[in-house]
Amino acid sequence: MTKETMIKKCLIFSMSLLLLAFTLGPFIWMLWISLADRADFLVTGKVEYSFNNYFQVLTSPSLHFLDYLQNSLIISVTTAFVVTVFSSMAAYAVSRMRFPGRSVIPLLILAMSMFPQISIVGYLFEMFAQVGLINHHLALILPYIAWTIPIALWINLSYFTQIPIALDRAALVDGAGRMKVLYRIIFPLALPGIFSSALLVFIACFNEFLFAIMLTIDYTAQTLPVGIALFQGLHGEIPWGNLMAASALASVPLVIMTLIFQRYIVQGLMGGAVKG
Amino acid sequence: MASNNFLQNYEKGEVRTACFFLAPLLLIVGIFILLPVLGTFYNSFFLDVSFLPKQFIGLKNYARLLSSPDFWQALRFTLAYTVAAVSLEAVFGVAFALLLNEVFVGRTVLRVVILIPWAIPTIVSARTWQLIYEYTYGLMNFLVMNLGIAPERINWMGTEFGAFWALVFADVWKTTPFVVLILLAGLQAIPEDLYQQAKVDGAGLFRRFYKITLPMLKPVLVIAMIFRTIDSLRMFDLVYVLTGGGPGGSTRTLSYLGFEAFANDSFGLGSTVSVITFLISLAITLIYLRAGKFSEQLK
Repeated sequence: MTKETMIKKCLIFSMSLLLLAFTLGPFIWMLWISLADRADFLVTGKVEYSFNNYFQVLTSPSLHFLDYLQNSLIISVTTAFVVTVFSSMAAYAVSRMRFPGRSVIPLLILAMSMFPQISIVGYLFEMFAQVGLINHHLALILPYIAWTIPIALWINLSYFTQIPIALDRAALVDGAGRMKVLYRIIFPLALPGIFSSALLVFIACFNEFLFAIMLTIDYTAQTLPVGIALFQGLHGEIPWGNLMAASALASVPLVIMTLIFQRYIVQGLMGGAVKG
Repeated sequence: MASNNFLQNYEKGEVRTACFFLAPLLLIVGIFILLPVLGTFYNSFFLDVSFLPKQFIGLKNYARLLSSPDFWQALRFTLAYTVAAVSLEAVFGVAFALLLNEVFVGRTVLRVVILIPWAIPTIVSARTWQLIYEYTYGLMNFLVMNLGIAPERINWMGTEFGAFWALVFADVWKTTPFVVLILLAGLQAIPEDLYQQAKVDGAGLFRRFYKITLPMLKPVLVIAMIFRTIDSLRMFDLVYVLTGGGPGGSTRTLSYLGFEAFANDSFGLGSTVSVITFLISLAITLIYLRAGKFSEQLK
């Protein structure tokens, strides 16, 4: 017994170290280089630390960091908002109204999310080129809504079905409309679920790359991932310090958000995964 | 008449309101997913390049693709990459989930820390890995040299071998947290009495893992691996940043091949690649689901 406890303790200790090194290693390296004046100090041994890289990324207009950030925020927030409204309306109908196709529709919608993005993006490009939407925020917002709404529907459904229908009945008898029932009764009760689906949608849009690189052209619409993927130095060599500072600025808010709201994120991921 | 009877089971007003509630979602998904998918399928039968009128060419795109070595290389790479990444993620996922399911000081911290790679945008992590894999001053080669793993620097981006594993590691880092989360939920659902009983019966630590944990975890593990497989089969961002499909086109995924065709204004051929990518991932998903059902029936 004692031998087993000892083995277990050793295993737990070494696995904990491995986990820390594994998950934090690259992240810490990103932060480290972002503070260093040169990226090759492992070989040269010469290095000085400052916040210069951050200063340059945030103030140099030719790097367009703030433009990318703004585009990303506009697109992700709008998408998360619209998806929340439309997916909760749909989840309401599916979870508490009787109509033909009620059990098939959520499955069909889920099936729609199975298509690889590459099998959508080529035709989207042609569609948007015809109506002149390429390089507009809408060229990303519209497909992002369609791309994330299936998972939001399923997460919301899993919360809505737990709310007793008797609550709606009472309100309906009192003469409230369906919309009012949804926003006054269901919405507050299912708020944790709605919040976690909105959060996951926001993160998914903030990270998305294939649609973004195909459907935008320059900094007026390009999102942060595109900006960071195409980030080039002025003189050929990649300016690692600037790039890592931009990377840190792009990821630290997401990391902090994830740490604060990890409960909702885990619940959302579980809701989506188990149902899917 | 049949449809009339069918509708009599429903209240007219309720059906109308339900339609109104569902309409925005259905419209958006219809226009921005279903229509493009059908359009892609349609385009795959056309010669569709800029400055030339679109021309129906039947199955010629498919014939051209299936006879091109690039396509088979991309297919081979995508499958090999998926197998390598998903199996490593399963191993790391199980190990870390087991750890986080134990009671010990610092568990809460580790449960939060594990989410960090998941939270960082793929492109950002790809750029960080690109720096880590840098030939002369990258962290990876520094570790490789100083820990004595290899006698000389590994050319991560310049060799087929290096590029393959560079992509796999970066993917494993980014997506293992997701696998851990799913497995952790599965572990928490295993009743504690099973372990107590096994302990009483004298089963050791590893025997209990092998005889109880692993079989009980299997359904959840299959779900996690299906998710990861579907995702890996369509991988794009990491390749775009880390290797650009190189060296010598050895690390193009199917999605990347499709993207290259679209980027070269070859919309017909790009659509063909996309259709085939979709069919392959559909086929693999169905095989997985079949295998899952089959093993359930065996029990």
